[in-house]
Amino acid sequence: MIEMFIQSLKRQESYKKQIEYVKEIPPHKACYAELEQPLQEVIQHYLDQKGIRLYSHQANAINKVRRGKNVIIVTPTASGKTLAFNIPVFEALIKDDKATMLYLYPTKALTNDQLQVLNEMEEAIGISVFPNVYDGDTVVHKRPSIRKHSRIILSNPYGIHQYLPWHYKWKRFFQNLKIIVIDETHMYRGVFGSNVAMLIRRLLRICQHYGSDPQLILSSATIANPKEHSKKLTGEDFEVVANDGSARGKKFFIFWNPPFIDETYTIRRSTHQETKDLFVQNILNKFQTLCFTVSRKMAELITRWSKESLKATSPRLANAITAYRAGYLPGERRVIEKGLRTKNLLGVTSTNALELGIDIGSLDSVIISGYPGTVISTWQQAGRAGRTTADSLVTLVAFQNPLDQYFMKHPQDFFDRSQEHAIIDLENPYIVMEHLMCASAELPLTRKDRKYFSALFEESIAALEKQILIRNTPNGWVYSGRVRPVSIVNLNNISNKIVTVTCNGDIIETMDLTKAYNEAHQGAVLLHQGESYIVEALNLETSTVKVRQEDVNYYTEPRKTVEIEIKKLHEEKHVGIDIGIGEVEVTEFFQYFVLKTYDEVIGRSALNLPPLGFSTIGMWFTLPEAIRKEIENQSLDFEGGLHAIEHAMIAMTPFYAMCDRWDIGGVSTLIHFDTGRPTIFIYDGYEGGIGISEKLYELVEHVFETTLRLIKDCECKEGCPSCIYSPKCGNENEPLDKKAAIIILDRVQKRIQNKKS
Amino acid sequence: MGKNKKVVPSAKFIKASEILKQKATRIREYEVIRKPEERQRLPIGVGSEYWIDEPEYIQAVKLKERLIREFEGEQLENTFAGQVVSNNFGECYCIQDVCSSHFKKVAYEQSKKRIISDLKLVYGIGPIWERRLKQQGYVTIENLREHPRWRSSALQFLELIEDNDVGSLQNWLWRCLPKSHPLVHYLASFCRDEDFALLDIETLGLFGRAIVLLGVAKPKKNSIDIHQYLLRDIADEPGALWEFISHLTEKTALITFNGRSFDVPFIRERLGFYGMVRPLNNPHFDLLHFSRRAWRDQLPDCQLGTLEKHLGVQRDVDIPSALVPEFYETYLKTGNVGPLVAIVEHNKQDLITMTSLFSKLYEAWNL
Repeated sequence: MIEMFIQSLKRQESYKKQIEYVKEIPPHKACYAELEQPLQEVIQHYLDQKGIRLYSHQANAINKVRRGKNVIIVTPTASGKTLAFNIPVFEALIKDDKATMLYLYPTKALTNDQLQVLNEMEEAIGISVFPNVYDGDTVVHKRPSIRKHSRIILSNPYGIHQYLPWHYKWKRFFQNLKIIVIDETHMYRGVFGSNVAMLIRRLLRICQHYGSDPQLILSSATIANPKEHSKKLTGEDFEVVANDGSARGKKFFIFWNPPFIDETYTIRRSTHQETKDLFVQNILNKFQTLCFTVSRKMAELITRWSKESLKATSPRLANAITAYRAGYLPGERRVIEKGLRTKNLLGVTSTNALELGIDIGSLDSVIISGYPGTVISTWQQAGRAGRTTADSLVTLVAFQNPLDQYFMKHPQDFFDRSQEHAIIDLENPYIVMEHLMCASAELPLTRKDRKYFSALFEESIAALEKQILIRNTPNGWVYSGRVRPVSIVNLNNISNKIVTVTCNGDIIETMDLTKAYNEAHQGAVLLHQGESYIVEALNLETSTVKVRQEDVNYYTEPRKTVEIEIKKLHEEKHVGIDIGIGEVEVTEFFQYFVLKTYDEVIGRSALNLPPLGFSTIGMWFTLPEAIRKEIENQSLDFEGGLHAIEHAMIAMTPFYAMCDRWDIGGVSTLIHFDTGRPTIFIYDGYEGGIGISEKLYELVEHVFETTLRLIKDCECKEGCPSCIYSPKCGNENEPLDKKAAIIILDRVQKRIQNKKS
Repeated sequence: MGKNKKVVPSAKFIKASEILKQKATRIREYEVIRKPEERQRLPIGVGSEYWIDEPEYIQAVKLKERLIREFEGEQLENTFAGQVVSNNFGECYCIQDVCSSHFKKVAYEQSKKRIISDLKLVYGIGPIWERRLKQQGYVTIENLREHPRWRSSALQFLELIEDNDVGSLQNWLWRCLPKSHPLVHYLASFCRDEDFALLDIETLGLFGRAIVLLGVAKPKKNSIDIHQYLLRDIADEPGALWEFISHLTEKTALITFNGRSFDVPFIRERLGFYGMVRPLNNPHFDLLHFSRRAWRDQLPDCQLGTLEKHLGVQRDVDIPSALVPEFYETYLKTGNVGPLVAIVEHNKQDLITMTSLFSKLYEAWNL
């Protein structure tokens, strides 16, 4: 059926060879397994009633938890991860009638979804557990009773951050805490993840104070480094459960590239229009389809356009599609989720809000409009399609940017490679210090607590003491400030300068100063929750940004030049060329910004901002004289080549380390003051660094290889937005030399190979 | 810990900690009100912990500067009459004083009569039943001893009165009546004079931070004995908490102003912080609750300052409670004891006012 559909797409008049690749993912049968020890009767009965047999990965996870191990489960969406941790949780609750459990979810929507599951299990198994959500939405008068009676509490990191200082009220709960379940752990990465890693250490320290040593069960989308990530996130060792035993039907994965609409092969048809056409085709074929879009606005627009085009011929189908996004009221979302489960809805367009574990059943077809930024997300979204027996379809529609186009050109790379690394940095002094301050207001800090807080413990403590934020006492270090520490520590930011964005006097968000320079300077179009705002003023003295809401048809990008200085070398290696990593001081000069529609510059405006300086972690490499000579002998532009490589490398970074484009920056120069040679730098865009450059340094050989392939295999002649053009470039993408870049990378490649052999 | 070699943080850490300090300094938990009408837009129920009138604020800033000049180079021991006290949990500085103040309570028999005349204190009896019973000649709970329906609950209650079990009686009254009901106040007559402890704490903010001064006052005939446990540094906190705890017996009845929501949970939290868990479930007379009931209609608000004006109490040197954290922070930073003078005096005044408030409230009840 899916195969026929693909054939029919190819026969259509509008078909211009958009299909770059079709991957058939073979079906696999369910793989069941027995437990080492049988389940308690009530739990076995519960499974029997629901007709559930344990898949091998579920049995594996349960066996390991029973042996007392910390376990991280990394299997695809809809493989039954929830059951794999709910079973050992209920076993422990039955065995010890005082035992308590904590479930942590990254979002509130997920906690509510899970609460329903737990309520149902409690009733079926027949023990009293009183599962309850305890977060910012929990009404005040219910809180004491939840703390006193609930044996499973579901919350989120933001909540725990606020509740830890009140731990004495949670004594019963912490004293008896047996298992902490942390779901969707791949969400805990970058700045947020590094903050949460510190938060979990604070939580474990409180547990230890009350004499409990809870076991940890983590669940994550498939990532490249589950063992490393779980260790960094919690400080504990884990066993990984990865082999999916659930049954899957055959899946077709199409790579769909919008066709060129000009003769020079540089401009492609709108991704959104292509998506709409595909969505309508799927609906007309009566495939239950979920279409993921990159923005809320596109989710709404694609539904609107599709309804319009279906209205005339099939009004019934037009009524069976709707949009879904995080901004909807919980009630509205429930209705849509149920509509999908009951198959009353045929098509839904959604932002990544439906990517995480909310139960919507399995669908026939998923359209991913634009590469979601990570392989992990792509597979999460793709996982929404696929029933246990029937065939299913996934279509990835590309944008015209380097990473999307790289995958269109190298689809096999997408399927062969492992997922990205989820990055957590335990050595950012800002983050460590903030959480040490919070911890010192929860329980006195002593030297024994060093084990929770990395090698930065002593220096951080000394610095906090110097500011009289903590005091050394016979009991340990005690917080001595007059502001509630958790109120100045935000899990989403680094304690750099924070600016507050207000609209008509209401605060709509806070952001790092660095981000404000890039996205909220005067005249910028700031996108917030899918709405566009114009920045009226960025006031550096009061750290405020004033905006007004306005729909505009353009967007803005600042243009900046960067100076970089090496402060301290951490490590260097010779892999054929010289690579270094260390502390760098970055100064960014913001000169003007451009107004753009699509990819066309429609205007420029000057910026009056002082230079932005910060120290961070960067990696760099230098190029030998021989390569430079070779390029110049061929009358190519060596500087343009370096510049092109810098852009392409930054574009390829998310391929390795999960991050957003503003998380990293780069500089290329013919001669650098500190190295004395042609040098390319890539640095973390945050004060103190966030671990991305370190990952690049570790994987640098692979980075060179994929960067070369990105540039070489692009159809363009002189370079284009799909390869070496960067939308962030401060020099308007000048100079760039594609040929030079290819030759340089090719020579680097050869040197790396020589070195290896 | 002091024995270990001192770590000198590198520039990177100093910079990060400075940024953190700036953030921590910029935030204030109160608002300075320039014009009285600005107060209108504050949410109802927001108290003086959250706003300070501008003239008052300017006066306090000047006072701090004056005190710093005046006490330059002074030792704490010479500034405050008292001594260092120590216990198993640490040390602190104890300031002792005796202040004249009249502590009055109603005679036992009179209070007892008022209480047992309220039949609604027997579970199940509401206003309608009460009226009916009184018509039938059941005037006090004593009379219900033989009543077939209400007998058992009445006996239980009378037994508590017999035993003088103030804690249980207070819980019983709180179940049947509003917490601010005058009868709850009359219950104080069941306590011996030596069982009372007036309590007021000064802190670095609203929860989650250190208590810097614990003031306890014991009423005597025409005076009150004041013990103020002052932290010379944060390290003194557990010692000070313990000194306060050792004032308490099972029978101690606390008298506070807003202590049920602030002082007592705050102390509980700090005890929890140091792993010295105590329930602190003593009988507790919270004067804020009573004051609201008594004077709500006559006064714009029931802040301690407003009540003082109403009662005709004068203060010499004083600072708004909300500024205590900044005053103490200045002391920690500079070592100058001047700002402490204002804190100690403020705390003492609060204790004195509470004593007269407790006594004056009896005049306000028209039962």
